[in-house]
Amino acid sequence: MILLKYFGNIAEKTKSNEEEIPYLDISLKQLIDELEQKYNLDKQSFSVAINQKIVQNIQNQKLKDNDIVALLPPFAGG
Amino acid sequence: METNRYSRQIILPEIGINGQKKLRDAKVLIIGVGGLGSAVLPYLAAAGIGEIGIMDHDTIDLTNLQRQVIYNTNSVGKSKVLEAREMALALNPSIKINAIDEKLEAENAISIFEQYDIMVDATDNFDTKYLINDVCCLANKPFVYGSIYRFEGQVSVFNYQNGPTYRCLFPEEANESKNCNDAGVLGVSVGIIGMFQANEVLKMVLGIGDVLSGKLLVYNTLNNEQQKFEFSKTQIIPLDKLNFDNKYLKNKKSPNEILASLALEQINNPNIVFLDVRNRDEFPEITIKNSIQIPLDLLENELHQLDSKTEFFVFCQSGIRSKIAVEILKNNKFDNVRSIIGGAKMLNKLLNNKTVLVS
Repeated sequence: MILLKYFGNIAEKTKSNEEEIPYLDISLKQLIDELEQKYNLDKQSFSVAINQKIVQNIQNQKLKDNDIVALLPPFAGG
Repeated sequence: METNRYSRQIILPEIGINGQKKLRDAKVLIIGVGGLGSAVLPYLAAAGIGEIGIMDHDTIDLTNLQRQVIYNTNSVGKSKVLEAREMALALNPSIKINAIDEKLEAENAISIFEQYDIMVDATDNFDTKYLINDVCCLANKPFVYGSIYRFEGQVSVFNYQNGPTYRCLFPEEANESKNCNDAGVLGVSVGIIGMFQANEVLKMVLGIGDVLSGKLLVYNTLNNEQQKFEFSKTQIIPLDKLNFDNKYLKNKKSPNEILASLALEQINNPNIVFLDVRNRDEFPEITIKNSIQIPLDLLENELHQLDSKTEFFVFCQSGIRSKIAVEILKNNKFDNVRSIIGGAKMLNKLLNNKTVLVS
């Protein structure tokens, strides 16, 4: 399983704070591309964390079973 | 020092009289006294931070009061920093409050930041957050970040003891996240996040606990979930003074000018008229549907051809005469007039490129 966590305006697009998907042998980049397409996230900018650690380069990142992937957009309100 | 006032915190073993002296000697700048700033300010003032700068150029609006709880209903219309200063000094007259009634800009930021130890980002837009980050990197100062999106808040401390910066966490500058005015917010949400920010300031000054450096705290007020994400310093090289000036100051155009590329984005806007002030025999010919040609020499006599309510983008061959034309128009009560930087030469270049791209 992969647990996906969504924050801020991303969670509004996905209409949930989290969801579980079956583990797939794909890269983080592929997963993010799929999510961007599925939820129409192309205009959002966000950082990605795996297991509470921000990933600097999602291109080369592999996924493991039971990973928790978080999509974190910056907020601007104050 | 007035120890009785602070006795309840001085008896904490982590603080003591030495800690209280550290608070007294600290200088903290709060950028923005809106929702977050109004939460941070009273607690730092009450705790005895010796010198607090508050920076904001806004006045109090009735819609601010549901979350900016340091202001009174009869203060609507008054300067935020002056009202905030009065509140903070009434709470604790033994400290110094500097009210800075200015907008934070690249021009004033460095000299102001240099006078403080810690900056608190209590602003509500991305441009200012990146500016604060870049100035803090230049001036080698830490800043406490806080921001809100509806029922969620983020807190972190950037550039602390050479730690990661805002750009290490969010490298992309383009974003369309809404601020509180557009997205809506409850007063308690900004209050909670402001409290987290004030807490980080106090911990940094006192040297106690673990500062949120290299960590992003995310708090959800609806389900009370709180999570911390770790991040490290990236290879992004912070701006040096020269690059900072290039990025923020060199490109700053006067409000009377517009980049040719931006002007062309409005080429099909029926409300904007392109005014060519070249002589009729000048090349290249620029074909824009909604345009009019009046040579600069004739402009003052031909103003009756133009409606002063219309928005005009003025161009000449290279952008010199069009600036004069803008002056003439502004003097004749045309308010919405800008000169196109680079003039017809630049427009022609861009228009031709476009043609190539399309075909």
